[in-house]
Amino acid sequence: MTDDEVLMRAIQAGDSRAYNSAVRQHIKPLGHYAFRMLGNSKDTEDIVQETLLRLWTHAQSWKPGKAGVSTWLHRIAHNLCIDYLRKDKSNVSSELSDELESGDRPAQAPEREERLAALREALHTLPERQRSAIILSHYQGFSNREIAEVMGITVDALESILARARRGLKAQLSE
Amino acid sequence: MYQGQCGGSINMKMTAQRFERIVTAYGSEPARWPAPEREACIHFLTESPAAQALVAEYRELNLLLDAVQVPALTQMEQRVMRSLREATRDSLLDKVLDWLLPRQQHGMAWAWRPALVACLPLVCGIYMANFYSFGINSVENSWQEELYLISMNDYAEITE
Repeated sequence: MTDDEVLMRAIQAGDSRAYNSAVRQHIKPLGHYAFRMLGNSKDTEDIVQETLLRLWTHAQSWKPGKAGVSTWLHRIAHNLCIDYLRKDKSNVSSELSDELESGDRPAQAPEREERLAALREALHTLPERQRSAIILSHYQGFSNREIAEVMGITVDALESILARARRGLKAQLSE
Repeated sequence: MYQGQCGGSINMKMTAQRFERIVTAYGSEPARWPAPEREACIHFLTESPAAQALVAEYRELNLLLDAVQVPALTQMEQRVMRSLREATRDSLLDKVLDWLLPRQQHGMAWAWRPALVACLPLVCGIYMANFYSFGINSVENSWQEELYLISMNDYAEITE
């Protein structure tokens, strides 16, 4: 039995200690994913909270052998983010640039800083599914099969989305 | 864009089209390429100048993507964990029921449930005996019967 199965069986049986342990394990990657998707901490908090609440209330719907817990949780978060972005696109605000500029990141050369700002902007304007694919692939460290599982598509379709996303980013950077 | 084919491993052939697809999808870092095709891709890369040019073309994008970090979300994480703890906290009734009928599959939980079920008839019997005599006489009568039986035994011993 895998670690995921042991953990999920305990959560399915109502073990709140196992649940808290799973929350501690997954809250950071989920937070990073949602923040990169939405660009602000308020909406990130809502999405992460809802995702992790579903780990408790919908634990029975996790099936062993189908997807890892992390993949399953990212699928929930992905769907919530897509729904959120489609419902109220006008409300999406980006703290990403501000937070990073005021953070403790080492100073960059001005030219590189400009390129980074252009990339952040380009990421923000990518279609949601392309952005999600890039985030899951580049930052969250999932394999192509896992990303396809998260997004509910085939690996072929994922590769097309990723290629379009990278070409789009490159095109925007070269403008 | 690329010409010809190149063998990447004993079991896998890498084509120029497939290599281009992999680099445009997964970027310039071999570590991010699909594991089953990675070895073939690396072999193809060493042999094809066009493949090296493509990787170089996507390298800057990879480096810039690496540089985009998210801020620390510690406070957000703490708030979420606090509210989740409250949302999933058991009530007193849940705690009592969990003690009586443990949901957690550890320790002696496997033995506790059958033992509790086996005790139920006993508990019911004790409870019902408080209200019904089931044809048994009062305590006083039963003592009289007891004395009578003892006296009969004594009589039998004397007659022998």
